[in-house]
Amino acid sequence: MPSEEEQMSKALVRIFENVVLTEEKSLQAGYFKDLSIAEMHTLTAIGPYEARTMTNTAEDLGITTGTLTVAIDRLVKKGYVHRERDKRDKRIVRISLTHTGKLACRMHSKFQRVLAKHILAGYDEKDRKHLINLVDEIDKYVEQQLKRYDSSENIRATASQVAQDAIKEKN
Amino acid sequence: MADLDHRKAEVTDDVIRMLAETLEISPEEITPDLEVNVDLQLDSLQLYEFVIAIEEFYNVRLPDELLDQVKTVDDMIDVIIKLTSK
Repeated sequence: MPSEEEQMSKALVRIFENVVLTEEKSLQAGYFKDLSIAEMHTLTAIGPYEARTMTNTAEDLGITTGTLTVAIDRLVKKGYVHRERDKRDKRIVRISLTHTGKLACRMHSKFQRVLAKHILAGYDEKDRKHLINLVDEIDKYVEQQLKRYDSSENIRATASQVAQDAIKEKN
Repeated sequence: MADLDHRKAEVTDDVIRMLAETLEISPEEITPDLEVNVDLQLDSLQLYEFVIAIEEFYNVRLPDELLDQVKTVDDMIDVIIKLTSK
């Protein structure tokens, strides 16, 4: 009998992997076969409405602007993204979705909504609320863990810890 | 009141035209009482083609939560009138 921790950790990893896999397979079977799941997430980060800056979009995706530039180059070529310089400030590049890009983004959001709808359909109202609260708590906890690694303070703390350990070892 | 009737007639014409273009059928085949999913049988891709065409034409936002309330062509017309009168 696996421990609770083991069951939980296996289920979390499996959910993550299967959601990504299902998204990928739905893309391959659908209208937007030329998009990878990473490209679809880029379209979702840009969103179907106002143009966004490269910096803000890269921040939301947790990638560098250099990596985003490569992805945007490809999406512009495929006809999903429109890129132009800001009319007032020529230093700023703004990206927005083309009509096809908007269509892909909306279809993908619909797919995610349907997935969530089907998961929730098996529960009554009370259990649905409870499930959403639990998932929210898991989400917040994992996000906190991510922020720990993202913050520069943590990098400084780790560096200081490494330095202290090195001194201890030396002595 | 006359203004509202005029606005409704205008939006009705536009919505039916865009819907006909999406479905590649004649506008005469579409009436406001028809249900978008049941009678017109728009699949997801056609629905979003139509929704994006409306968003771009009226410069409004039609998120899925709002679309859930739209059953008939007339519901869509009312939503657009509400959004564009703000």
